[in-house]
Amino acid sequence: MKKFIKWVFSGWMLILFFIGFFLFWEYSIPLFDIPRYILPSPSEIVLKGSADLDKLIYYTGVTALETVLGYIIALILGVGFGIAISFSSILRRTLYPFFVSIEMTPKIAFAPLFISWFGFGLMPKVIIVVLVCFFPIVLNAILAFNSLSNELTLFYQSTGASRLKTFFSIRLPAALPQCFVGFKYAAINATVGATIAEFIGSDKGLGFYISIVTGNMRPDLAFAGIFFLTVLGLTIFGFVTMMEKILIPWHISMKRINK
Amino acid sequence: MKNFIEVTELKKVFGSGEDEVHAFGPATININSGEFVSVLGPSGCGKSTLMLMVAGLLDSTSGKVEFEKKLVNGPKTDIGIMFQDNTLVPWRTVKGNIELQLELRGLNLKDYQEQINNILKSVNLDDFADRFPNELSGGMQQRAAFCQAMIHDPKIILLDEPLGKLDAMTREKIRADFQKLWMVKKPTVIFVTHSIEEAVQLSNRVILITPRPGKIDREIKIDLPYPRDLNVKRSPKFAEYVNSIQEVFHKYGVI
Ligand SMILES: Nc1ncnc2c1ncn2[C@@H]1O[C@H](COP(=O)(O)OP(=O)(O)OP(=O)(O)O)[C@@H](O)[C@H]1O
Ligand SMILES: [Mg+2]
Repeated sequence: MKKFIKWVFSGWMLILFFIGFFLFWEYSIPLFDIPRYILPSPSEIVLKGSADLDKLIYYTGVTALETVLGYIIALILGVGFGIAISFSSILRRTLYPFFVSIEMTPKIAFAPLFISWFGFGLMPKVIIVVLVCFFPIVLNAILAFNSLSNELTLFYQSTGASRLKTFFSIRLPAALPQCFVGFKYAAINATVGATIAEFIGSDKGLGFYISIVTGNMRPDLAFAGIFFLTVLGLTIFGFVTMMEKILIPWHISMKRINK
Repeated sequence: MKNFIEVTELKKVFGSGEDEVHAFGPATININSGEFVSVLGPSGCGKSTLMLMVAGLLDSTSGKVEFEKKLVNGPKTDIGIMFQDNTLVPWRTVKGNIELQLELRGLNLKDYQEQINNILKSVNLDDFADRFPNELSGGMQQRAAFCQAMIHDPKIILLDEPLGKLDAMTREKIRADFQKLWMVKKPTVIFVTHSIEEAVQLSNRVILITPRPGKIDREIKIDLPYPRDLNVKRSPKFAEYVNSIQEVFHKYGVI
């Protein structure tokens, strides 16, 4: 009960903070005489943005498709490679160091190349999203599947259980919390990747929209586009967090108690 | 059967070069079937190492372990083993954790429901069957782990300080229960403990290990009648055994 009150209270604090933030923004524009082509006020963003709503919604759909498609492909590839590398000593000595070294290159730097190879369509954007999401997922998955406690390893060995049974009864559930660290990190990367890919070369999507309206000196519309991007990012992240709560409730409650 | 378990010149050295740690041995131990043997020794003398080698979960540096003259060269699966750190998984309840042992062994859960209830009752955890390990105290977790290790009714039991985290009273009760179970089913038991009194109360024989690298200082046969209840524990002979063991460890400066 106490915890609940604390939670509501902290929730209200956040909402109050946001209201204060936007009020400050709204009234500091006339106060400091900031020209609207530099920074528009929130009310103006809402007003002008809603006139462009159809386009914004359509572009949100375009960017969402690229993001979600890329994220899902990265998820499948990342977990697949993660498991393969964890269980094969050959891959651990070849692919793993290769991935670690590639992790150091900023993947987004490949974006112009992909656009020039694959054109303006959906595919190069999806590939870029896959690229920025794959590494956090695969590296965390490798960590996850390699960090089983020594006792649990000895325990299942002493039962003589098959590798398959051990995998589903022990290794997989034990690995999920660490896997989700990668999934969440990748969920944040995903919209970033799609947006930048659209900046570089596209004819639709929120990234395209933002770069065009900024070029036309319309920061109000750019902010409207950023707002939709934020909503998209939050939705994806929220979905992944919800999946975490559903799949590993024991982990969430463990963290809560340890606080 | 005589010399059911034979440990011959068994030795373990971890690492190599500068990092080399001589953890245990060489030591020779013979255990008859149905015998209850305690292994007693100071911290770090290699008791856990010995137990893992007997269970086939750790390779020895030299020497061998045999069960009924058959060499152990991989994990032994026909045993019940309880490790020093518990093997409860956080995503299963107490009952689910006990069932994990059965599932991994491919046993039918339905056949064991009554046994699960009984063993939980015997360690006073029947009210906590549906709780998760992180909702239990350290001592309760240890009791749950004890149930997990014993549920498949093993004929060979290896326990590494199974009662270490329990309060004196619970400890006393589980000792008595375990002794009863041993008297009825006569499994072969290797019991690692820090408690001299516990070793004397439970065992046919106590093996005293020297400080690291652990070698066998001596073996003491405990000639007391079972069940060893309070009356036996108050007897002068019991105190004599405890004293003589204390003297050995006093000599090594560990007590
Ligand atoms: N995996 C390992 N790698 C290196 N050294 C180890 C390893 N396991 C144990 N040792 C060393 O071997 C020695 C014996 O360890 P062991 O765990 O068998 O002691 P123990 O008698 O069980 O002690 P305790 O009573 O504290 O549990 C210790 O010095 C320890 O540091
Ligand atoms: Mg130990």
